[in-house]
Amino acid sequence: MAKPAATYQELHIQSDLSELADVRTFVVSQAEEFGFSEDVVFQISLAVDEACSNLIRHAYKLDASNRITVRIATKESQFIVSIFDAAISFDPTQLKSPDMNDYFSKFRHGGLGVHIIKRVMDDIKYIPANTKHPLNELRLTKRLVA
Amino acid sequence: MAEFQITTSTNNNIEELLLHGYLDAHTAPQLEAAIGVLVQQGKYNILVNFRELDYISSAGLGVFMVFIEEVRNNNGDIKLCEMKPKVYTVFDLLGFPMLFEILPTSQEATDKFTTSNG
Repeated sequence: MAKPAATYQELHIQSDLSELADVRTFVVSQAEEFGFSEDVVFQISLAVDEACSNLIRHAYKLDASNRITVRIATKESQFIVSIFDAAISFDPTQLKSPDMNDYFSKFRHGGLGVHIIKRVMDDIKYIPANTKHPLNELRLTKRLVA
Repeated sequence: MAEFQITTSTNNNIEELLLHGYLDAHTAPQLEAAIGVLVQQGKYNILVNFRELDYISSAGLGVFMVFIEEVRNNNGDIKLCEMKPKVYTVFDLLGFPMLFEILPTSQEATDKFTTSNG
C-alpha cells in the first residue's frame, strides 16, 4: 500500500500585528486536530506567534502591504509549521540565546521570541530564498509523542 | 469583546491593573501606555492581576522589563498575581520568576506591598 501523501493547510495574512490572533486561531485548530495536548497546542501557537511577530516588526518593519504565509503540514508524527516571507533573508537560528541572568541584571527587553521558539519546538530550520524558491522559509517542527 | 482590555483600580496606594483577553505584540502597546501613565504620575506600587488573561507572548513580558528598573529605583515594584497555568509557563520558560514576584492571589500581593513599604 502506498504511503499517504503529506497534507497541508495554509493561512495567508498581511504583515500586520492585528493578524496575530487569526494566526493563533489557525494554529490552535490544526494542532488540536492533530492530537496534541492543550499545553503543547498553546506552546506551538506561541512559537508561531513569536515568529510572525518578528517578521512583521523587524523584517517588514510594520509595513502591512507585505504578506506572510503560514503552512501547516503533517507527516507521520510530525507537525510542521512553515512560515514564508519575501523580506530580506535573516536566519533566526543563528541568534545566540541570551544569558537570562545577564538579561535581567541589565533590565534588557525584547529579543526573546527566538529563544521561546527554540525552547518549545523540537526542531527549527531556516531556508533562505533562492533562485528556485523566492520566499524565505522558517520551518518549525513538533513531534506528537504517543 | 475587544481582544485585550485593562481595568484599573486603586487601593491603599496600590494601583491594580486587571488584564483581560490576549496580550501579544499587537495589544502590548496598550499595557505599556497604561503602566507609562502610572509611572509618569509617580505611582510606583503596581499590581498586575492576570486573572482574566488567556494568552501572553514575549511582547507582553517585555512591557514589564521596560518599567521595572525605574519603578524599583523609586522604591516601588511591579508585582504579578493570579496567573492561569499556561500564562505562568511563559514567564517560567524564560526565568522571569527570578526578577518578578508572582503571587497566587491579589490579597497576597497587596500584603507584600504593605510589608515592604513598612
